[in-house]
Amino acid sequence: MSLQDVTQVLMKSEESPLWLRVWATVRKYTNIFRVSLIERTAYRGDFLLGTILRFFPVITTILLWKAVFSGTQQHRIAGFSEQRMIAYLLLIHVSRMFSSMPGLSGTIARDIRDGTLKKYLVQPLDMIGYLLSYRAAHKVAYITTSAGPYAGLFFLCSGYFVDLWPDVLTLSAYAVSLLLAFVIGFFFETAMGMVGFWFLEVTSLLWVVNTVNYFVSGQMFPLDLLGPPWDTILKWLPFQYLAYFPAVVFLREVTGRALVEGLLMELAWSAALIVLSRWLFARGLRRYSAYGG
Amino acid sequence: MTRYLRLFVAFARFGLASEMAFRANFLVKLLVEVLWLGILLIFYWKLFDNTSSIGGWSRSEYFFFVGCHYTLGGIVETFFLTNCVEFAELVRSGDLDTYLLKPIDEQFLISCRWIDWSTLPNVVQGIAIMTIALAVMGWTFDPLRFVLFVLVFACGCALAYSFLLILSSMAVWLVRNQNLMEMWWLFTTLMRYPRAIYEGPWAKPFGLFFTFVVPVLIVVNVPADTLIKAFEPWFIVWTVIAAVGMLAVSRRFFRRALQSYRSASS
Repeated sequence: MSLQDVTQVLMKSEESPLWLRVWATVRKYTNIFRVSLIERTAYRGDFLLGTILRFFPVITTILLWKAVFSGTQQHRIAGFSEQRMIAYLLLIHVSRMFSSMPGLSGTIARDIRDGTLKKYLVQPLDMIGYLLSYRAAHKVAYITTSAGPYAGLFFLCSGYFVDLWPDVLTLSAYAVSLLLAFVIGFFFETAMGMVGFWFLEVTSLLWVVNTVNYFVSGQMFPLDLLGPPWDTILKWLPFQYLAYFPAVVFLREVTGRALVEGLLMELAWSAALIVLSRWLFARGLRRYSAYGG
Repeated sequence: MTRYLRLFVAFARFGLASEMAFRANFLVKLLVEVLWLGILLIFYWKLFDNTSSIGGWSRSEYFFFVGCHYTLGGIVETFFLTNCVEFAELVRSGDLDTYLLKPIDEQFLISCRWIDWSTLPNVVQGIAIMTIALAVMGWTFDPLRFVLFVLVFACGCALAYSFLLILSSMAVWLVRNQNLMEMWWLFTTLMRYPRAIYEGPWAKPFGLFFTFVVPVLIVVNVPADTLIKAFEPWFIVWTVIAAVGMLAVSRRFFRRALQSYRSASS
C-alpha cells in the first residue's frame, strides 16, 4: 500500500460506498499483518540455527549420563535410576523457563548507576511492581512460544517418562512450585540489582553469583549427588527452588509431609526475598542522588 | 611476515594494558574461571564416585581429557573468541568499514586484534590438570606420542578456530546473530565429552556425522587419545587433513561473507 493509496482511501472514506470502505479496512489490516509477519521472520535463519544448537547440550548430557550408568553395576546414582536422572535433567529446562531472569539485576544496577532510575521515581509507579509485571508478561510470551520446541523435545524423550506422569495432586504442587520459582527468581535478581546502590560496578559480582547459582540450584545434576552434609546445606538455601525442587516434585521424589514442608519453605523464602528487596530498595533510595541522565 | 608478528605483539601489549586499567575486574574474571573449573571438577569427581568408567575412560584418564579440553578452550577464548564476538557487532553497526580499509589481511586483523588475557590462566590450569592426571595414572614419557600429541593438539586449535570463524561470519547474512558467545558454547558441548559416549541407535550416526562431516568431535578426542589411549594413526592423519581443509574452507567462507557485506548507516 503506497502513500498515494492511503490518501486516496482517506479521501474516499467519507463518501465512498460501504463495500469500498470495508475493502480498504481489510487491505489495511492484511498489510499490517503481512509486515509484522515479515518482521518476525526476518531473523528466521538466526532463530533456526539457535534452536538447532540448543539441542546439543541436551543430547550430550543424556549421552553422558547413559555412559555413566553403563559404566557401573549400580542401578541408582544418588537415588536416581538412569531413566529418572535423564527425566530430571529435562525437567530442569522447565524449571528454568520459570525462574531464569536474564539481565534483570544488570538492568537495575545500570539504572542506578546512570541515574536513569529517576524515570521510575518521578512517575506514580512502583519500580519493583513495574518490573514484576514486565517480566511476568515476558515469561508468558516466552513460555508460549517455546512450548512448541519443548513439546517436541519431551515427545522425543517420552521414553524417559514412562510411569512418571504424576497424579493431579502432584501436578498442582508442581504448578505451585513453578510459580514460586518465578517469584524467588525475580526477587533474588532484584535484590542483587539493588546492591548497585552501594557499589558502582556490580557486573563482575553478578558473574560470580551466576556461576555459583548454576551449581547450587541443581542445574548440572541433582543436589543429592553431592552427599551429606552438602546436599542438606544446599537444600536449606533458596537456590534449589530455582531448578532442583520443582523437578523432584514432578518426579515424586518428595511426597507427603516433605512436599508440604518444601512448599512452605519455598513460600517462606519468597516472602523473605520480597521483604529483602523492598528493604534494600527503600534503604538505597535514601542514598541515591540521581547523577546524570 | 615480520610485520604481522610485530602487529600481533602490539595487539597483545595493548590488550594487557587495557586489562590492567581495570585490575579488580580482571581479578574477578579470573575468580569466575577458577570457580567454574572447580565446579566442573567436583561434578566429574562425584560421577566417578558412582561409576568406574565413562565411555571406557577411567577417572584419571577422564580428568586428562577434561584438562585437554580446558586448555584448548582457554587458547581459543584468549586469542579468538572476543574478536569473533566483536566481528558480529562490527557487521551490525557498520563499523567493519574501518577495518576493511586497513592495508593488511582482513582475517588476521579481525580475528587476532584483541587478546583476552583474563582467560590465559585457563590454559595454565588445563595444563596443570593434564599433568596431575598423567602423574596419577603413572604415564611413562613417550617422545613419539608426545610429538604427535602436540601436532594434533595444534590441529584441534586450528579446527576450533575455523568453526568459530565460520559461525561468526554467518553474522553477515543473519545480521542479528543471537549472542555468538552462547552459540559457541552450545556448539562446543559436542567436543566436551569422549567420542565413546555417542553409542546407540540414533547417537552412533550423530557421532559419526560430527566426526567425519563436521569434524568437531575429533578436536579434543584425538589429542587425548593420542597421548594416553589407543594409538590410532588413521585418526591422526584425518585430524591433520581436517584441520588443513577446515582452515581453507573457513577462510573462503569468511572472504565470501566479506563480499556480501553491505555497510550499514554511518
